[in-house]
Order: sequence, then C-alpha cells, then structure tokens
Amino acid sequence: MWKRGRRHPGQLAPRLLAVAGAGLLAVLSLACGNDKDKVTLGLIVKRESNPFFVKIEDTAKDTAGDDNVKLLTAAGKSDIDNRTQVAALAKMTAEGAKGILITPANSSAIVPAIEKARRAGVNVIALDTPTRPRSAVNALYATDNFEAGDLIGRYAKAKAKADSIEPKIAMLDLAPGITSGQLRHDGFLKGFGIKDGDRRIVGSVNTLGETGRGEAGMKALLAKDPGINIVYTVNEQAAFGAAAALKAVGRSNDGVILVSVDGGCKAIKDYVRPGVIDATAQQYPENMAREGVKALAKAARGGPKPTGFLNTGLELITRDPVKGVPSEAVAFGVRNCWG
Amino acid sequence: MAEGSVGQTQAQSQAQPLDERPRKKAGLVHPGLTVPFILLILCFAAWGAAANLTDVLVGVFRQIFTMSNFQSALVQFAYYGAYFSLAIPAALINRRFGYKAGVLAGLGLAAVGGLLFIPASGLLKFAPFLIALFVLAAGLSILETSANPFVIAMGPEESATQRLNLAQAFNPVGANIGVLLGAIVILPNLTPEAAKVIMSPAQLHDAQEHDLSLVLGPYLGIAAVLVLIWVLIALRKMPTPAEERQGEGEARTGALRRLWRNRHYRYGVAAQFFNVGAQVCAWSFTIQYARDVVGVPPGSAGWYLQASLLLFLVSRFVMTYLLGIFRPTKLLALMGALGVGLSLIGVFSQNKVGLLAVVGISVSLSLMFPTIYGVALRGLGEDTKFGAAGLVMAILGGALMPPIQGKVMDQSGAAFGYIIPAICLALVTCYALFDLRTHRNGGRLVAEGAH
Repeated sequence: MWKRGRRHPGQLAPRLLAVAGAGLLAVLSLACGNDKDKVTLGLIVKRESNPFFVKIEDTAKDTAGDDNVKLLTAAGKSDIDNRTQVAALAKMTAEGAKGILITPANSSAIVPAIEKARRAGVNVIALDTPTRPRSAVNALYATDNFEAGDLIGRYAKAKAKADSIEPKIAMLDLAPGITSGQLRHDGFLKGFGIKDGDRRIVGSVNTLGETGRGEAGMKALLAKDPGINIVYTVNEQAAFGAAAALKAVGRSNDGVILVSVDGGCKAIKDYVRPGVIDATAQQYPENMAREGVKALAKAARGGPKPTGFLNTGLELITRDPVKGVPSEAVAFGVRNCWG
Repeated sequence: MAEGSVGQTQAQSQAQPLDERPRKKAGLVHPGLTVPFILLILCFAAWGAAANLTDVLVGVFRQIFTMSNFQSALVQFAYYGAYFSLAIPAALINRRFGYKAGVLAGLGLAAVGGLLFIPASGLLKFAPFLIALFVLAAGLSILETSANPFVIAMGPEESATQRLNLAQAFNPVGANIGVLLGAIVILPNLTPEAAKVIMSPAQLHDAQEHDLSLVLGPYLGIAAVLVLIWVLIALRKMPTPAEERQGEGEARTGALRRLWRNRHYRYGVAAQFFNVGAQVCAWSFTIQYARDVVGVPPGSAGWYLQASLLLFLVSRFVMTYLLGIFRPTKLLALMGALGVGLSLIGVFSQNKVGLLAVVGISVSLSLMFPTIYGVALRGLGEDTKFGAAGLVMAILGGALMPPIQGKVMDQSGAAFGYIIPAICLALVTCYALFDLRTHRNGGRLVAEGAH
C-alpha cells in the first residue's frame, strides 16, 4: 500500500518545514497588518465612577485599538460637571481630534462648546443623553427610553393579567424636566395602556434615580395604599430602594411586580435572577461606544458624517417570561450586563 | 481526549511488569526510529489539541448560531460518538494492515475532517460542522488506537513504559494548546452579543460569516499539521510488528460471559462511563458557567477552562505520588466525594466562588480514568484484553452526558446544570466504596501488563 525504500525523506522533510514556516509567516504578517490611517478621536463622559460610563469608556478604548484610532479621554467630576466637559472639548479639538463622543452633563450649557468644536471641523456624537437642541450635535446614539418604558409596561400588564392581579401601581420617577425619565414614564403608561391620573395609579414620587429616595418614596406610597402590587421604577437604583421598602413591610417578591430599566450586573444577578425585580429593560452602553467610535473613525477617514439617531438597543430581561412580550433569559442579561 | 485518555491506559496495559529485577539500560527507540518517534509525539499533541478545542466550541457555536445549550452540546455527541463508533474498526485496521497503516488512516481521516470545516463555514449551518467534527474525531480515534501500540513497538520492551509515558506527556501539552487557541483566536474576536441586538439581517449574516471564519482557522491549522505528519510518516521506513493472532472466537465468547459476571468489572465500566461523562461535561460548560452565571467577558472566560486543564495536569502528578502511598480506591472515593462537593458548590454558589469550584472539579477528575481502569481490570487474567476493550467503549459517556447537562441548563440555568457532573461523580464514588467494601480474588492492579 505504501512504497518503501526509494524516497529521500531526509531531503524532503526540511523543505516541507520551510514551506510551512513561510506560510505561517505570511499568515501572521497579514493578521498583524492594519491598512487604515491612524485618526484621533475623543471621548468625554460625565464621570468615571459610574459603571455605565466605565463600560462606555472601556468599549471605546477596545474599539479604538482594533480600528487604529488614538483615543483621547476625559471625564467630569460629577454628573453635573459641565465646566470640565467644556474644557475637554477645547483641549481635544486643539490636540487634533477629528471626532468627539460626549455624554453631556448639562444638555443646554454644553451646546456652545460643541458648536465651537464643530466649527473647527470636529464631528460630535452625543451618547446616552441628548443635547438641547438635538441639532447641536451631528448625531445621538442612545437608548430609546420611551421604548424601554413601553417594554416594561407591556410586561407588567401581561404579568398582572397572568397572575390575575387587580393593578395598583406605584410610579417611582426620576425628576421633573429630565427627558430620559419622562420618556420612560410615558412609555410605561403607554405599554400598560393607561394615562396619567388613571385610578389604578396609587401615586408617583421623584427619586433622582437614587436608592435612598427610592426607598423613602416607596414607603410613602405604601403608607398611602399597602395593597400596591405593581411598581414602576425609572432605573435600578430606585428599584433597589423600592425592593428594600417592600421587604421592610413584609411584602414577598411573588406578590409584587417590580419592573425597571438599565440592565446593570448588580440588578441582573442579585435582583432579577432571584426574582426580586421581575423584569428590567437592559440597555447597552457598549453599543453606544462601539458604534460611535466606528462612525467617527469612518468620517475622519473621508466617509459619511454621522447623522440622526441610532437606537443602541434594548432587551427585556426576566426569569419569568410572559406571552406576547419578547424577552431574553437571565443568562443573556448576565452575559451582557455592565458594571 | 485529554490526558488519561482511553488509549493511554490501553497501552499501559500492554507494557511490561514494573518489577524490581535489575536490567540492562535499554535505548529509548530502535536505531533509525528517532524521527518517526518524534512524529508520533506530534500526533499525541495534535489529538489533545483537537479534543480540547472542542470543549471551547460548545460555547462558541451557541453564540454564533444562537442555539440552546442542548443543541450546542451535540458537538460533544458528535465528537465522542465518533470515538465510540470507531473503536472496533480501528482495531480491525490495525489487525489487517498494521499499526503504520492505522496511524496513516487515522491521520488522513482526521485531516479530511479538519478540511471539512471549509465547506461547513461556507454553508453557515450547524449540521455540517457536526459532520466535520465526527470525521475528525473518527480519524483521531483510529490514530489513538494505532499510535499507542506503535510507540511501544518502536523500541526495546525494557523502555516501552518510559517511551509511552514520554509520548503521552505531550497529549496534555496539546490539550492546553487547543484551549489556548480557543481563548486567543476565537473567543475574544467573536461578534459581541449586545452588538447583534441592533444589527440588520444582512449585518447578522456577515457577523456569522466572520465568527465562523474564526473557528475555521485553528482547524485548518490542525489539518495542516496532520497532513504534514502524514507525509513525513508515509515517506518513512518503519518496521511494523506482527499482530498476535490467537484463537479469538472461542476465547471472546467465554471472556464476555466471565466479564459480565464480574461485578467489579461490570460496575467499573459503568463508573468509567460516568467519569468520562463528568469530565466532558465539566470542561464543556466551564466557559458557559463563567459567562452565564458570573458574567465573565468572552475574552476572559476561556482562561478558566485553561486553568482547569492546567490544574488537571498538575493534579495528575500529585495523584501519581499519592497512589504510591494510599490504596487507589480510597483515593478514588475521596476524590469522587470532592468532585461531588465542588459540583454542588457550583450549583448553589452562583458567583466567583462557584466558578472556582467548577474549575476545581479537575482536581478530582485527575486520577479517575486510569484508577477505574486499573481497578476494573484487576485480576481478569486472560480476559484483560477484552475487558480493556469494554472500558474503551465507556467513552460513550462523553457523548451522552453533555446533551443531558445542556438540557438541564436550558431549563434551569447554567449553574444548576452542574448537578449532572455531581450525579456522575457520586456514582464513581459509589464504585470506589463498593470496591473498598467487597472482597475480590487476587490479581495485581492492572497498570502492568497482562501480555
């Protein structure tokens, strides 16, 4: 079957190894090469201690590394630190950034600095939070907050029906005048099929998105009506507070439908997985960063400028899916959570 | 299959008794066979790489094809199912054509399997990948069955054990390379799941193509190495030892009857089935546990599987030492109980502690395969050869248990899925306790030869 004796493997083997080695070198050189021009972009977030913005920054750096982009970064000292962001815009423009991603701390006050950068030829994309006016930037890449509210509203309604619950709703909102909070509130009402002032709404409180205020607000609403069985929370920090208040009065998880928005890791693992939060609309800060860097890099290399609004995606995460409302399992939420 | 594979312990059973008579120092290989020996060492590394790269593929395919854990576990069903199916044909090839032919047939078939990944990644469907894996594993099964006795035949009998141990030592090297390939080349470069949430159908199609091209790379590399080894071995003159032919027909029937009546053997085969099942399950779903339960990013999740294999390797040396001090089945019982405990921690502790426990299961697995093998075959005498074949078939556990764990994971989550290795290891512990509590007649522990 195999011939023996008349071949010269001693000559053949080194040649074969040389060919294999050359092939390997060729493959490696192709893999390591990057034929895109290096461009400089900037990223300015509200503050670096917030896990949401940490995710944005980490993803932006990874994407920049893959795309031959030099990424300048800056962060404010707090969620309302506009001054640092203004200075960062000017500095990055001076350092040659062709595009800047920004999560505005103050939607109006940042506009003059953004317009100055754009006059200097810098493309600017707002992430997560819109500017006022929206046209101040090239584009907005953010979660559709109305859709987020609608999704959890639909879930709460379907779950209430499945559990044969006569709804008594508590609304834990953000604060007056903040767009994202208002959109989520309005979306929830639409998803649930009710309007402001509906008799099924026990009351609403402003939490500023904080756990302590969420707990205090929930306690106040429970004092008004101990039979509350559906709780809308504008974000998961508020939901943590609501859960604490419910636990303090001895209400079990099974008797209350608690819904929220964000999709952070603490909420998914410690609240959604054990069923304390029934469902949360998970948003993807990594998509904001990834798509933002890619779009600005493309524009900097002569491609089309980013425009309009990019919906960076939402998924409802729950361990108890309901019919008619698309959702993903907790495992999906864990794999894609942030913070 | 990683260290502790079927072929390794089969070959150990064919080596010389390790008695204490002084002997003349023997060369490692016959003159002129150093290069062929090195080539066979590469084979051991290659099949280790292919086997453990498959562990990574389970999670990779789940993400690429957005499928359930049960469906993705069919990867292991295809892989180990091929090993099971080709065990007997491999032996027939060796008997008819000799070990060199068996090695070449195995290398060739495995290379074809690797190359079948090319059309599979073009079709963008899961089933062609399963076919490619089946063919690859079929070739590796023939290779493993042929390579072990071939290594033994390459040199003097006195150095056979040493020669085989040296060759086998490269299997875990290959196993770690396989996982490393997955951890470096595939996992960190997969399209992020979150990115797919906002992709259009056309973009999703492109992403799938991109991700499948990542899978293609390592298997083409393995195929290339196998082809190269095939050419070098085919062109090389190698003496092939004559096959022993005994009155097999009558001996086989009698052996099967005797083996079936032997409870230590019968339960040993079952224990081996569950041990292989536990091992393949534990490693196949380590990455999923890291991602689904703890939220470890894909680029980092592969390192936990890598840690499992390294722990397995180190523990094997430690266990080898301890086996010289303690009765094997005592150690087996202890490790079985440890494995059950660690699996249950993985089930109930759904955080980094649980993940570390899942990684730690490898410590308990490290001594099981050869120990069960030796205990089950002890005292079988002339029936050892057929008994060994039965233990080879226990590899079926690696094909059947992962889909079961996948199903449990789909119903109850990745953490609860580790109840399956817990049950498997509990049954292995039961076998060890059975051996400790029952009397059996004579016979040394079979790591030495019955030939």
